[in-house]
Amino acid sequence: MDHTAEVREFFKGLLAIRHDRQPFTDSTSFFLSGRLSSVDAVELVVFLEEKYGIDFAEIGFDQSQIDSVQAIGSLLRTVKAVD
Amino acid sequence: MSASATTVPAELASKGLSRLRNFRLIPRVDTYPAVVAFAQTVIGKLVLLALFGMGLAYGSTDWLILTLCLALITFLPAQRRILVTISALLFAFVVPWKFFKQPFYSVALIVLVLTVGALLFWCATLWPRSWYGRRPVFVFLCSFSLLIVIASYTPQGTRAYQLVWDFTNSLSVYIWFICYSLLDRTAPGRDPFSLQLGSYRPFWGSTNTPFAKGAAYLRRIEARNPEQLAVTQLKAIKLLAWSIMLSLCGALFNYCAFGYLHIPQFSEALYLSANRTPLPWYHCWASILVGFIGSLISFSAFGHRIIACCRMAGFNALRNTYRPLSSRTVAEFFNRYYFYFKELLVDVFFYPFFLKYFKKNYKLRMVGAIFAAACFGNAYYHFARDLTFVQRQGLRGALMSDRVYLFYCVLLAAAISTSQLRHRKPAPSGFIRGQLWPSLLVLLFFCLLDVFGFSDRNYPLTEYFRFMGHLFNLNL
Repeated sequence: MDHTAEVREFFKGLLAIRHDRQPFTDSTSFFLSGRLSSVDAVELVVFLEEKYGIDFAEIGFDQSQIDSVQAIGSLLRTVKAVD
Repeated sequence: MSASATTVPAELASKGLSRLRNFRLIPRVDTYPAVVAFAQTVIGKLVLLALFGMGLAYGSTDWLILTLCLALITFLPAQRRILVTISALLFAFVVPWKFFKQPFYSVALIVLVLTVGALLFWCATLWPRSWYGRRPVFVFLCSFSLLIVIASYTPQGTRAYQLVWDFTNSLSVYIWFICYSLLDRTAPGRDPFSLQLGSYRPFWGSTNTPFAKGAAYLRRIEARNPEQLAVTQLKAIKLLAWSIMLSLCGALFNYCAFGYLHIPQFSEALYLSANRTPLPWYHCWASILVGFIGSLISFSAFGHRIIACCRMAGFNALRNTYRPLSSRTVAEFFNRYYFYFKELLVDVFFYPFFLKYFKKNYKLRMVGAIFAAACFGNAYYHFARDLTFVQRQGLRGALMSDRVYLFYCVLLAAAISTSQLRHRKPAPSGFIRGQLWPSLLVLLFFCLLDVFGFSDRNYPLTEYFRFMGHLFNLNL
């Protein structure tokens, strides 16, 4: 599974916990739109740290970096480029 | 035949249920294409502004100037952000002018505070790799704490005493707004200070908690085109209408509870309990339940009004209070009841801890970060907000009288930690087991916790426990 598919699956899981079965696209905003809360953002942070080794303490954390599947994709590309 | 006979009532029932679920007291006008198109015309904008102004006039003295600011922003969307700054300055200096005891002195103090904010922001952006640039919020909050210590040890009756306290009090009103600016220092497309200033006690209103967070958030939620602006403004009108309805319900509720049923206020029940003449247990319960529901209604109405103004200015901000009664966990209620306060604690205290410490141990990391935010951050916020107590009672006295609230914070943090560490899984199906029962338990918890949250600093912690005992008919 590629990064985008894995992140998409993770979002699906977070939404399922909230009984949210509305469809979403890669550009759908989750946190700024209020669809997911900062509590969910924490779970996503842990997922990204563990799965892709992102160190937010190092690169700086901003919720807009993880607001959508697309935003996470671009974050992962940036982090890889720096590495 | 028999199959259709059984499905028809079922279908009807499901249709009825879905109709009930989709019923709205205030119609979803922001989803009607014709209304959205009308709201984009000049006449439409004038109608929306007139409606909004009339709504604001209910219960606001500054409704006219507020509406004029909103009108200017509505018709000049390209200059929205700078107009927000100008309006914020208008509401900081001009509108309260007649309420200042010494207008020029008060204005000078606010200018000094804003200058401090500007210097901190510029230093953090100019030298991002410096010792200060890497942790500006931490340095700022430590410096502010030091200032409180200095102020409380300055000899009373001197000119320096008055000056230091006046400055500290003025700065305390702005600290969290400055913190949000400092958090924005590394963001791509960061706003210059002139635009950051618009989010320092914005003209649409706030408490010491920045409503709609800081400039970074405003940037992201700003309407990008006339259609988005129309939708956002229609949402604003809906929210203001809801706020007015809640205010009316709140007034009716208070009349019924206190005027008709004569349920005692919580402060009265606590006073009687502390004086060893407690009310019967059912009166104690009634006083805390009524107080909890009343504050839920009035606080929702208050927050909706502010967010409605923010939306009318073209920023599609999330509500401050959103369906708190449907919360199934303690953490969810905390998130839904006072969203922007929770966001402040998360941004300033939770994430810095969570991203830095105990990375190998998830549970410790989570509990540590929750305590940093919901316990330490929460207590610090209220301590910094109520500086008059420090001035009156001295630093030591104020810290001692703050113990009840600190206890409240410890309980809250412990409950949120427990709620977060329990394995998250989809709720059991069924309305009673899945929704009603967990929601009732959460509400009961916050209702009881509120006993410790009400702190007028007149009673020791033991008196609150005594009152809790009376709730269960125990004379402690």
